[in-house]
Amino acid sequence: MSVYAVNKLCHDALHDLAFREAVKRDPAAAIASRDLTAGERNALLSGDVARLYEMGCHPFLLAYLTRWDLFGITGAAYNKRIHTVGEARK
Amino acid sequence: MAEIVAGFGMPHNPGAPALVARDGPQCETALYYADMAKHIDAVAPDVLVIFTDDHFNTFFLDNFPTFAIGIAEAMAGPNDQTPMPHYNVAVPGALAAHIRSSAIAGGFDIALVQDFEVDHAVMVPLHFITPQMKIPVLPIFINCLAPPLPSAQRCYALGEAVRAAIREWPQPLRVAVIGSGSFSLEIGGPKIPPGERIAGTPDPQWSQHVQDLLREARIDDLVAEATTDRMLAAGNIGGELLDWIAMLGAVGARKPVTILPQNDHGQAFVAWRWN
Repeated sequence: MSVYAVNKLCHDALHDLAFREAVKRDPAAAIASRDLTAGERNALLSGDVARLYEMGCHPFLLAYLTRWDLFGITGAAYNKRIHTVGEARK
Repeated sequence: MAEIVAGFGMPHNPGAPALVARDGPQCETALYYADMAKHIDAVAPDVLVIFTDDHFNTFFLDNFPTFAIGIAEAMAGPNDQTPMPHYNVAVPGALAAHIRSSAIAGGFDIALVQDFEVDHAVMVPLHFITPQMKIPVLPIFINCLAPPLPSAQRCYALGEAVRAAIREWPQPLRVAVIGSGSFSLEIGGPKIPPGERIAGTPDPQWSQHVQDLLREARIDDLVAEATTDRMLAAGNIGGELLDWIAMLGAVGARKPVTILPQNDHGQAFVAWRWN
């Protein structure tokens, strides 16, 4: 169910202003209480959208993060990283 | 006794209202929506039925219906922070309940939705074609975004069931049906073009091909070709074609009176009118 938690988090970034502001201020603290696996948490905090996509996060929701550069994910960074989906990465 | 008197298909890009506000009424998007609005005015419908796909704003993945009909006296939106005016519009609740009951009796499994707001997929078209919001609007939600999607055959049959239900309604209402969405669109997935944006149009040829089939009223061919795989090959939002296919089930196999293409955005504005 935890990919669900990443989708929910992205949804909340749009619909929950307090959460969005918390992520801007302190991303790790903002998501500390969320039911995420270590892999999901690391992927979010490092902005690894390719990994999150490969885990099954819905791209429509994942792309929300770029609206406010959450987790440092700018549009350009998202674009570059999403094109590495399916490749072997470090 | 109520009748479907016209059909429309059009996109719902959330950027369109701001784009038109910036570029003015002579820009292409404004002109194309205005053409649709002109047809709507001429048809003078009593009700607009809109086949729409929620983008996780009305529903979420905790409870996401394949098919749902909104049964209420009014609805508001957009509920997804799309930059545009916020509107309230009447919903013909009794007619909506009747359509749902009739479709369930006909073998469809349609979720009950009684307290809801709607997103840009409903409100962007309405903003352009009925900004006074005087015509009641009846939303029928189809899952176009979260695979597995319903089949094109099933969605076409849903449209036919909606038409049958409308014809059973005892009042002589004039009903226009709308299919909302694009044919080729990718958001946030690997098919976006390299650069800085997170959206793109992977398959403008598919968009043109869909219009070629519509122009010739080759609806059987369209339904047969519109597999989930084919739609999603045109982009992860390509399933929105299902909204059009449901609308076509309600309209029947007719040739459109106008097709206005925007293939670089994988979409088009199309109107069907008869008698």
